[in-house]
Amino acid sequence: MIQKEEVEGMRRVIWLSVSVLIAGILLISYPVLAQPREETLIHDTVTGVIGTPDDFNVWAGWRWPDRGLHQYCLEPLWIAEPATGEILPLLAKEWPPEYNEDFTKMTIRLREGIYWNDGAPFTADDVVFAVDLHKRTPQLLMHGPMAEYVKEVRKIDDYTVEIELTRPNSRFHSYFLDRWGALRPMPKHVFEKVEDPLTFKFNPPVGTGPYVLESYDPAGYWTTWKRREDWDRSATGKIYGEPKPKYITTRVFATEEAKILALLNGELDLAYLSVEGMRAAMRAPHVRTWRKEWPWACNIDPFVPGLVLNHMKEPYNIRDVRWALTLAINIEEFMTIAADLMAPVSPIHIPPVPAYRKAYFEPMYEWLLNFELDLGNGEKFKPFDPEVPSKLASLAKKKGYPVPEDPEAIKDIFGIGWWKHAPDVAEKLLKKHGFFRDEFGRWHLPDGSLWAIQLLGHPEPTTFHHRTMLAAADQWRKFGIGVETWTPLQFTTLNLLGEFDINTTWAALEPWGAGVDLYRTLWPFHSSQVRPIGEYVAFDPGGSSRWSDPRMDEIIAELEKVDIADEKTTIDLGLEALKLLVEEMPTIPVYGGIAFLGWSEMYWTNYPGAENLYPHPWHWWPNFKLTLPFLKPSQK
Amino acid sequence: MSAKTLKIYLIARFLQYIFVVFLGLTLVFFIPRLLPQDPIRAIIGQFQQHGAGLDAKTVETMVTTFQELFGLSGSLLTQYTSFWKRILTLDFGPSFFQFPTPVSQLIWRFLPWTLGLMLTSTIAAWLLGNVIGGIAGYFSQKRWAKLLDTLATVIRPMPHYVFGLILLILFAYLWKIFPLGGGASIGKNPSLTIASFLDILRHSFLPVLTMVILNGVAWYHQMRLLVQNVKNEDFVHHAKFGGVHTWRLVSQYVIRNAMLPQVTGLALSIGQIYSAAIIVEIVFSYPGVGTLLFEAISRADYNLIMGIAAISIFMVSTLVLIVDLCYPLLDPRIRYR
Amino acid sequence: MGILRELFQDYRFALGFTFLSALVILAFLSFFSPYDPVEWLQVPRDMPPSWPHILGTNSKGQDVFWEATFAIRNSLIIAFIAALLSRIIATIVGLLAGYKGGVTDQILMFFTDGILVLPLVMMLILVASIMKGQLSLIGLGILLAFFGWPWDARTIRSQVLSLREQIFTQTAILSGKSVLSLVFGEYMPHITPLLLSTVLSNMTWSISSEITLAILGLSKLETPTLGTMLYWALRRQALLLGYWWWIMTPIILTLVLLVGLYFISVSLCEYMDPRSRLQRATME
Repeated sequence: MIQKEEVEGMRRVIWLSVSVLIAGILLISYPVLAQPREETLIHDTVTGVIGTPDDFNVWAGWRWPDRGLHQYCLEPLWIAEPATGEILPLLAKEWPPEYNEDFTKMTIRLREGIYWNDGAPFTADDVVFAVDLHKRTPQLLMHGPMAEYVKEVRKIDDYTVEIELTRPNSRFHSYFLDRWGALRPMPKHVFEKVEDPLTFKFNPPVGTGPYVLESYDPAGYWTTWKRREDWDRSATGKIYGEPKPKYITTRVFATEEAKILALLNGELDLAYLSVEGMRAAMRAPHVRTWRKEWPWACNIDPFVPGLVLNHMKEPYNIRDVRWALTLAINIEEFMTIAADLMAPVSPIHIPPVPAYRKAYFEPMYEWLLNFELDLGNGEKFKPFDPEVPSKLASLAKKKGYPVPEDPEAIKDIFGIGWWKHAPDVAEKLLKKHGFFRDEFGRWHLPDGSLWAIQLLGHPEPTTFHHRTMLAAADQWRKFGIGVETWTPLQFTTLNLLGEFDINTTWAALEPWGAGVDLYRTLWPFHSSQVRPIGEYVAFDPGGSSRWSDPRMDEIIAELEKVDIADEKTTIDLGLEALKLLVEEMPTIPVYGGIAFLGWSEMYWTNYPGAENLYPHPWHWWPNFKLTLPFLKPSQK
Repeated sequence: MSAKTLKIYLIARFLQYIFVVFLGLTLVFFIPRLLPQDPIRAIIGQFQQHGAGLDAKTVETMVTTFQELFGLSGSLLTQYTSFWKRILTLDFGPSFFQFPTPVSQLIWRFLPWTLGLMLTSTIAAWLLGNVIGGIAGYFSQKRWAKLLDTLATVIRPMPHYVFGLILLILFAYLWKIFPLGGGASIGKNPSLTIASFLDILRHSFLPVLTMVILNGVAWYHQMRLLVQNVKNEDFVHHAKFGGVHTWRLVSQYVIRNAMLPQVTGLALSIGQIYSAAIIVEIVFSYPGVGTLLFEAISRADYNLIMGIAAISIFMVSTLVLIVDLCYPLLDPRIRYR
Repeated sequence: MGILRELFQDYRFALGFTFLSALVILAFLSFFSPYDPVEWLQVPRDMPPSWPHILGTNSKGQDVFWEATFAIRNSLIIAFIAALLSRIIATIVGLLAGYKGGVTDQILMFFTDGILVLPLVMMLILVASIMKGQLSLIGLGILLAFFGWPWDARTIRSQVLSLREQIFTQTAILSGKSVLSLVFGEYMPHITPLLLSTVLSNMTWSISSEITLAILGLSKLETPTLGTMLYWALRRQALLLGYWWWIMTPIILTLVLLVGLYFISVSLCEYMDPRSRLQRATME
């Protein structure tokens, strides 16, 4: 009797599991995507889950523009293109804009034949409306500069706008220059009917770009865009041609594992990854990286990770101390920890991107080689080491990476050089000011106390800030300084307030990455920007150091008088500024910005990799629309 | 059981519920304020980082506006009183990094998914764990029972994150049976159709499976232990000699009696299940409170973390209260001092 | 000694004890480690197990085996501190509530149940995310103790309640014994085995909570613990990159530790269970 019961029970269990299996199989035959996969380009976003999924009004606040909004729907007057180093006019007809003699009037000529995606024509009325609305509406994001500088904005004819300024500003155009954000023209026919532009959701978004909104996830995890029927009436379409993907879907992933698996599965075409994520994704044959050979990473992102020292805290206001900290770093170990040797080093405060290589890095090279530090006792030391690139190359080779032999390629991958690892010189510089070492080799401040640096880093471990922090902590500890790393949630706030010893935000504010003007990077170092500890500065990268120098103020004042079209004077002043920054070393620039990209060739190919650098490689930048006409489907 | 003791029990229980919620929410209010953080500047910092060329004047204007919105103006006492006023209207302020979406709106959007996950997996884990545990406990001398035991013991201490990740890789990547994550397919918004329902089911299967296995083993072990004890009791022996069939014996006599302590266990484990659900959601990018919390932590969104903590305390306490209130109905033996 | 011998007859206790002893030995080995637990780039990175790195090396340039010894040591320290502190609190609360009864009992149980109901991991996450990276080993232990005592306070309380009803209590009170000596002298031997088994379950909970916090990136990531080792391996995509030695080590060690604790506590519980004691007594 007992056996029959058991068999009965067993049978029940088996029946249950079989039915579960069948149910599971039944559920398989369901597509992942609503539209045809081979006509869709799918990529991730870098700014996380969209908090306002149904709101597209970028002028009123943060709206997660990289969900496809600023890439595919909206177009600016001008756009900065770091891949080629050029500034491209999209809705404007030409670059540069026209200024009058004393920079109090700016004239913009607009491109003709452009239409908003709902059929209305794009004219000067839209630009005038946008500037005027910003001038009189206090809570719009770009209200400040418009209220401050715009005296009057008027239309000369349907395609010409004239803006009269309240006072001279030779760089007024930069508010309209799209470098991951700008004041873009608004559709007047939409916004003039709106009572409150701040709460208006702008849904669906009306832009001049080649794509319109198709659908979106109310929870904020994906957005799908569809190519306009009349794509040739967008600036992108007019200048570059038909964008190839019919649909574009942007997706958000909670963890990187999910992102990598999606890439490997063919559910994702373009992904922004960490260095390990990229290496894991690369193992699939259909996944390629920006550079097909080592180091695979894309090294033309225009920012400079480094170390920012707080000049309002002792002893970081002493130039020799800052230089000692620089020379205590062994750049080979640093680059291994921070970027796995995949980034180019930069000894100056701008990144080694195409726009600046010829204009700044080449002319600086000789000067850097001859630059001397005065050690005080009559001794001089030349800190620049041009051999750093080859040292990094051989280190990489030892690790088994396929490093090219060509010295030009090595310069391209590793930079032109960095500072020597000279702990003995660092010691001399420190001892000159009364620092000393105890019997355990630990450094002490001149007042006798143990030297401990509070190194502030970003809590998210995949960020460059965080990795730079780990590298610097390691290096300075080895040198004998106590380093306490701290990664609080309020990282940015503390930087802005000056409540840190050393932080790991960018060494200087990101430059345009296009054109030769460095004004944007130098401005945070102006004396008017300095604030005491406990008060907020306006700019975190560079500015949080609270350094200023009357010589820098002079250079900036000179630069303000130079027309943007005068490249020679702009470069000369830029070089002067960079040299000053090297001498004083207020912040320590270490390497140029890199991005680890994974591109799947399962559905699309002809990506803008290193071997094929046309418009733009980054899918989270507004420039990516310029790349779309050149992609090719791989499955036809 | 007299009406009086029942009334006392209910009142006392309810008072305790109020106290817990009050204590929890006060903690939630004070803990973040112990830090020198200014969330407003953090938002603006984010804007700047992403290139929205803000100058000092624009920044100043925004700061004052935001201070009002975030309830950060006024003394600590004023803030505390207005905090409570807002809580009672379920207004936790706007999320910092998903500005200006209100925190409560975000939570309401994601909470149903977590509740769904929790409820299905709790019930499934409880049922499966207890039933299988009961059977295995009764037939504890059999080979398969011993094997099941070892398996359960090894799986039990597995960290949720790792187990979930392994299941994800096995069933969504190596064998492409289930989707890699999310709550529904892309391009499809959840609606009240069968197709949509199946789609959601498909996406929920792996997260539910992870939760069921990991929570189920605990129930399995406990039930097994209980059954092993009960099975040696006299009344069971008597029934067996009396000719009751094994199956009926196991279900009607043995399991039924061992069940009661498991119900109290259920109430107390709701907190644990919630914690587990959070982790599992992160692994599968499941659009529930867990993923929201993970984002909040990475983006330093205090308002959101606080809001989630507050809602969690409130929700878990309420669920436990409900179970506790049902308990006297189930157990005729309840004695209350 | 007889007790131990009897315990060892249960294969689960023997196994659990072996597991734990092995781990404690590993933890002691950390004092002889030739490597610093925090520094990066001490050895070549990402190498599979081979001599002299018997468990391979990780992406930070550290020897996985020696890292693991530190990890076990630190995890055990956290668990011990948490368990010890929470035992003290739980015992005091349980004894007071059980013995005094009445209003004291109700008030104490009010608080205890209140904390029990809170979603503990959520509270841990809240505090840890605020104190991001500043929590030392001891700090974490204290935090875990703060949230870990309520469960066992209840268990001790019930035990004390039943002891109070026993005859020997009445006898002791009548013969003039002071409350303190009664409680500590007479009750403790009964409570101690209970304490032991709750210590083990509390340690299990502490270790799992530490791992959860670490995986979310909320602990001091430079200090090697079982949780932070997992964190680094996961974040650096060890699984997808095929560095199985780096991710399997903390998982297997965690499993061994928790399974060992579980076995010991289960066998202890069964041993103390009066019904099985009776069985053993009748069998002799």
